[in-house]
Amino acid sequence: MVLYRHCCFIWKNNSLRGLAKIIHFKTNPLTTGDFSKIMAEEKKFYLTKEGLERIKKEYQDLKYLKFAKTKGEIPKIWHSEDINPEYLSFREDLSFLETRIAELENILKNVELIKPPPKERQNIVDLGATVLVEIDGEIDEFTIVGTLEADPSNKKISNESPIGQALLGKRVGEMAVIKTPIINHSCKIRKIKYKRI
Amino acid sequence: MKAIKKFQIDTKELSPKEKVLFNKLISAAKLIALLYLKQKNNKYPGANFYPHDATREEIEKAAKKNPVILNPYTFVERNKSGKLIAIPFHLKFKKELKPIAKLLREAAELSQNKNFSWYLKNQANSLLNGDYEKSEIAWLKTELFKFGFIIGPIERYLDKLFFKKCAYQAWLGILDEKKTKEAERLKKMFLASRRKILPGSEKVDVSKLWVRVDKTVIFSGLIADFMFTGTNLPNDVNLMKKYGSNLTIFETSLDLKFRNDHFPIFKVIFDKDLQKFYSKDELYRASLRCILLHEIAHSLIRYRDAEERLGDLFPIFDELYGYILGTKGCGTLLLKGAMSQKELEAILIMHICRNFTWWLDSLKNPDVNHYAIGAAIAQNFFLREGAIKEKGGISWPNFTKLFICIDELSHLLEYHIALGSHEEAKKFVNEYGSFDVFKSFYPKLVKISRKI
Repeated sequence: MVLYRHCCFIWKNNSLRGLAKIIHFKTNPLTTGDFSKIMAEEKKFYLTKEGLERIKKEYQDLKYLKFAKTKGEIPKIWHSEDINPEYLSFREDLSFLETRIAELENILKNVELIKPPPKERQNIVDLGATVLVEIDGEIDEFTIVGTLEADPSNKKISNESPIGQALLGKRVGEMAVIKTPIINHSCKIRKIKYKRI
Repeated sequence: MKAIKKFQIDTKELSPKEKVLFNKLISAAKLIALLYLKQKNNKYPGANFYPHDATREEIEKAAKKNPVILNPYTFVERNKSGKLIAIPFHLKFKKELKPIAKLLREAAELSQNKNFSWYLKNQANSLLNGDYEKSEIAWLKTELFKFGFIIGPIERYLDKLFFKKCAYQAWLGILDEKKTKEAERLKKMFLASRRKILPGSEKVDVSKLWVRVDKTVIFSGLIADFMFTGTNLPNDVNLMKKYGSNLTIFETSLDLKFRNDHFPIFKVIFDKDLQKFYSKDELYRASLRCILLHEIAHSLIRYRDAEERLGDLFPIFDELYGYILGTKGCGTLLLKGAMSQKELEAILIMHICRNFTWWLDSLKNPDVNHYAIGAAIAQNFFLREGAIKEKGGISWPNFTKLFICIDELSHLLEYHIALGSHEEAKKFVNEYGSFDVFKSFYPKLVKISRKI
């Protein structure tokens, strides 16, 4: 599984070229199958304020594109839909768009904003914490975020990753044991800090 | 002619002018192979860099009085009185280098990219005046060009006597932007944490690391013989510290190696039930990551005195440690959720396949022996620690134990490369470097080996 899939729509329709907007967004790292399961379970989505803004913007952009696409932009059906590649491409784009809009609606419905904990709990690792750890002789620092915002190349680690799960609830100076079927490591927490909102 | 390897790549995207430029660089690259063949000689550990009758002691003694003797860019010859003297490459090959430099200058005139043009002119000058540092700095100072091009005396693997003299090589490729972006992302994740260093070691921090993935069109000289899948240059630690390091992955070479070596080896040495779990695509991706992480890891294991301490054994430790540290780093990526367990398993499998590849390669080209010895060290270590079960030429890895082994081996190698002596390194090689570990697989592997 690749954690992130950067999807992009390249609007093919000539008459919409003025918009010619390429929207990059990070999708839920889970597959569509997993997504259906999440929908059924009403899973909470943890987002920072910036993350929530990005999701809202993407939702608005896609809604607008769907509106533009379906208002007067439907390719004329020739003799048969089966042999009309333009129409098939249109349907495919629309279906992709609708799926993503549904995903975003579900996220916005079940979103929980990540806020810094009260002062007395700021020595405990929670979502939004930036943690300095020592693991296997290496010093590492990263922020624990929800899965939707996870981006290890920018030091944002998912709360559902093995290290994220092991660190949650731990205090400065404590050891966390990270277990996977292949690797077991212990990790010492050196520092915890929270960004002020 | 030997020492040239051409690859088929799509050049449709090049403009007519760029195609002319491209062909000039290919012609220049081809010509450099002639110089490499004059340096190469498998019969002698010092190749043709030193007089064949000169002993190691005699050369060392002469170098004390005249350090140019062990300069990376000189031939050592005897004068009329039998005394050892040094002759710079650029003077020895003055006649042969002129047309190469001319081609580079013509290509420079055709380039619309001023920086690339400047870089090519620097390369041309370096070939003729022997100031290679200047062209290396020029290469490091410039951005990701559309073309990846290197020419000159670069790698030291031909000099098995001292690991000092540089052999000529050239390569040319076109930047694969998509794969370069992926590689950049992996690099950022891999380098996110700070490693602890052993007290007393002279660690060199590489100031910056550039990554590019190229669709290679030609290898010439040493690189054509070695068929590298990636490289990390410059080799000079002082230049690395000051100007950074440039890492290139040769996608076309990797494709060929995966198709001809890694994947067929996987199909032969692993149990059929295990094979079912991993698709060819997953393994290719793992192979690419293995090479990329190996090259990135090189930038973390530079020590000012390592080459002097380990001497001729340095390349064994340097290459092996690169592989081990690269694979070890995948563990952190798994823990951070940046890599799945299956992806890590595929990388471990490809790591083993690459061990076999280097051994098979060494049977045909003894110049790659240091890679093969490193591969044997890893394979013996895995087998002795029970990380791989082997019976009748079929193996089954225990991924948990394999990862523990990689961790343990990384600590041992860190010691050798950071602080260890030549004597200690030799003892370690004698203990783990036996090729016997591969031999029980030979009846199966020989069929693949013929195809390579």
